[in-house]
Amino acid sequence: MQHAAEDRLGDRLIANWVSGEHLRFTSDEVRRSYQARARLIVDTIRLEDTGAIPVIPAATQKFALDYGQVTFREAMTEFDKALAAYVRQYEDTDFDAYVGPEFIFPAGMFEALAWNRVRLPGVHLPDDTSFQFVEAEYMKADEYDEYLDDPSDWVLRTYLPRLSPRLEPLAQLPPLRNTLVFHQGLPDLVLAAAENPGVVDAMAALKESGEAVQEWYEYLGRIDQELGGRLALPRLLGAMAHAPFDIISNYYRGWRGTIVDMYTRPEKMKALMERLLPWQLQYGIDGAKAQGHPIVTVYLYKGADGLMSEEQYEEFYWPTLKKLLLGLVDEGLLVWVFTQGKYDSRLHHFTELPAGTCLIHLESGTDAFLAKEVLAGSQCIEGNVSSALLATASVDEVEAYCVRLAEVCGKGGGFMMDFSAFLDEARRENVKKMIEVAKRYGRS
Amino acid sequence: MPQELTDAIVSLRIDDAVTLAARMLAAGTDPLEIIAESTEAMQVIGRRFADGEAFIPELIMGGEIMKSISQEVLPEGGGPGTEGPKGTVVIGTVHGDIHDIGKDIVVLMLGTGGFTVHDLGTDVPAQDFVAAIEEHDAGIVALSGLLTLAFDAMRSTVDGIVAAGLRDRVKIMVGGAAVDENVRVYTGADGWGNDVSRALKLAGEWTDGGA
Repeated sequence: MQHAAEDRLGDRLIANWVSGEHLRFTSDEVRRSYQARARLIVDTIRLEDTGAIPVIPAATQKFALDYGQVTFREAMTEFDKALAAYVRQYEDTDFDAYVGPEFIFPAGMFEALAWNRVRLPGVHLPDDTSFQFVEAEYMKADEYDEYLDDPSDWVLRTYLPRLSPRLEPLAQLPPLRNTLVFHQGLPDLVLAAAENPGVVDAMAALKESGEAVQEWYEYLGRIDQELGGRLALPRLLGAMAHAPFDIISNYYRGWRGTIVDMYTRPEKMKALMERLLPWQLQYGIDGAKAQGHPIVTVYLYKGADGLMSEEQYEEFYWPTLKKLLLGLVDEGLLVWVFTQGKYDSRLHHFTELPAGTCLIHLESGTDAFLAKEVLAGSQCIEGNVSSALLATASVDEVEAYCVRLAEVCGKGGGFMMDFSAFLDEARRENVKKMIEVAKRYGRS
Repeated sequence: MPQELTDAIVSLRIDDAVTLAARMLAAGTDPLEIIAESTEAMQVIGRRFADGEAFIPELIMGGEIMKSISQEVLPEGGGPGTEGPKGTVVIGTVHGDIHDIGKDIVVLMLGTGGFTVHDLGTDVPAQDFVAAIEEHDAGIVALSGLLTLAFDAMRSTVDGIVAAGLRDRVKIMVGGAAVDENVRVYTGADGWGNDVSRALKLAGEWTDGGA
C-alpha cells in the first residue's frame, strides 16, 4: 500500500514542487526558505498541526500593479513592467507564496482573434480596469444533441466562429469526421482551404495569437525565476479544471440559458456534464504533469448559496464536481477548490472527500468560523478577509478580524490566511497587518 | 383560469403558462389583466425568494415566463404599460464594470415590486446616471458593481450626482457581492446590499418613509 501511494503522480509532483528543482535559486538560503514555505503549504493542506499559519494571496492584481504604477493595459502588453511591479510588491509584503500571472493574460492573444468573450482595458474599457469576461449564449438551446454527437466538430465549426470573427471562416470547413480516406473527404477539406481565403486568414490569426502566447509563456518563466528562484515564493497556481456545470453556464449557455435548461431540458444538461467530466479530469491531470505542479485549481462559480437551492445543487452541480475532485485526489494531486460567493450551505459536501486533500478558498461572504466548524479534520480552509475591509477599514479593524480568524480558524492547523478575492484597492498597511497577524500567531 | 395561470407561473411551467395566457387572450381577456395576473404570480416568487424559500433560478425562470407571456399577449413593442406606483428607480452597473446578473435580477424584483425601473445597462458613466435622474425624475438610484474596482466608480458617480445638484432629490443604494457598510460610507451612498432581495427592501423603506 505504502509503495503504491508513493507511485502516485501527485506524490511525485509534490516532492518535486517542494524541492524546487524546476528553479535556479540565487543562494542556498533562498532554496531553504522556498522549500520551507512549500513544505508548510503542503503540510497545512494535509491538516498537520504545524503551529504556523501560511499567508497566501488569492490574486493581488491592481494592488501589485500600483507598486510599479502599471495600468492593466500595460500589464497585458508590456509584461516585464508588470513583473517589476510584482517583485516590488512581494519584496514589500511577506507572503508565503504567489499565485501566478495574476489572471492577467496577454492582450495580443485576444486581440489577434478579436475574441468577443472578453472586454479589454485600452480597447473596450478604461486602461486601468481589469479585463472582464462576457457571459453570453455561445451555444444555442437546441445544440445539445449536435454537441453530444461530435463535440470537436461543434467546437471547431460552431463555437470558435462565434467567439471570434476572424475564425468565422472555420464554419465553412467540412466536418473533419468526413475526412477518412483520400477519396472520401480529403479533397473537400483541402479545397476548403485552397478556395476560401478566409480559412487561410483564420490560420494567420491563430498564428498571430499564438505568437503573443509564446511571448507570454517566456515571461511566465521569468516570473517563476524572479519570484521563486530569487524571492523564495512557491507558485500556487498550476493546472486548472472546471466544474462541468460551470462550463455550461459560464462558457456555453450563459446563466439565463442554463437556468431555462434546468427547467426545460434537464436530462440533456446532465448528459453534457457527464460528457465533460472525464475530459476535465484528464485536462487537470495532463496539466499537472506538463507543469510539474501538484496543485490543480478548480474555480467554482454558479453553485454558491442563493444561486440555486440545495436540491438543485445536489441534482445538477455537485455530482460531476464531486467526481472531478475525487478523480484528481485519486491521483494524489492536491486540489485548490476556489469557492466564490457565499458558500455556507454547501461546505458540508467537502467532507465527502478524503481528508486533507483539498484547500478550500472562502470569500468574505462565507462564514469562515462556520467553515472551520464544518470542515475541521476534513479539509484545509483559507481566505475570507474581506477586500472591502482591506480597502476601506482601519488597521485596527483589520487586525481585530484577522486575530479572530487566526485564533479560531487557525486552531489545530488546517488554515491559511488569505483575502477574499482580488486585493486591488487594499491599503498596504492593512495587507501588512493581515500578514503580520498570521506570522505572529504562528510564532506564539 | 387566472388562478391556473398563477399556479403555472409560480410552479415555473413555462409552456403551460404561455398556453394559458394565449387561451385567455383568445377568450377576450384584456392583455393588461393577463400581465397583472402574471405580475402577481411573480410577486409570490419574489416573496418566497425574500423568505429564503426560492432561489435565483426561480426568479430568472419567472422572469423568462413573464417575458414569454408579454410577447404572447402584447402587441409588438408594447411593454406592460403600467407605471410603477411606488416610485421611479434609475439603475445601472457603474463605469468600468460589465457584470449584469445581479443587476438584472434587481431590475426584475423592483419591477414586480411596484417600481418603475430605468435600466441603463452596464459600464455606465456618471453623467448618464445624472441625465437619467433628470429625465425620469427618479427618486432612487441603484449603483451595481461586482468588482472591488467598482467602488471608485460608485464614489465618482455619487460625486457626479452631488455636482449636478441632484443629491437631495435622490436616495442612492450601492449593491454587489463585495459591497458592505464600509463601501457605503466610502461611496457616500444611503444604503447598501450584497444580495438581490435587499434592493427591494431598501427601496420600499425609502418610499414608505416619503423619500
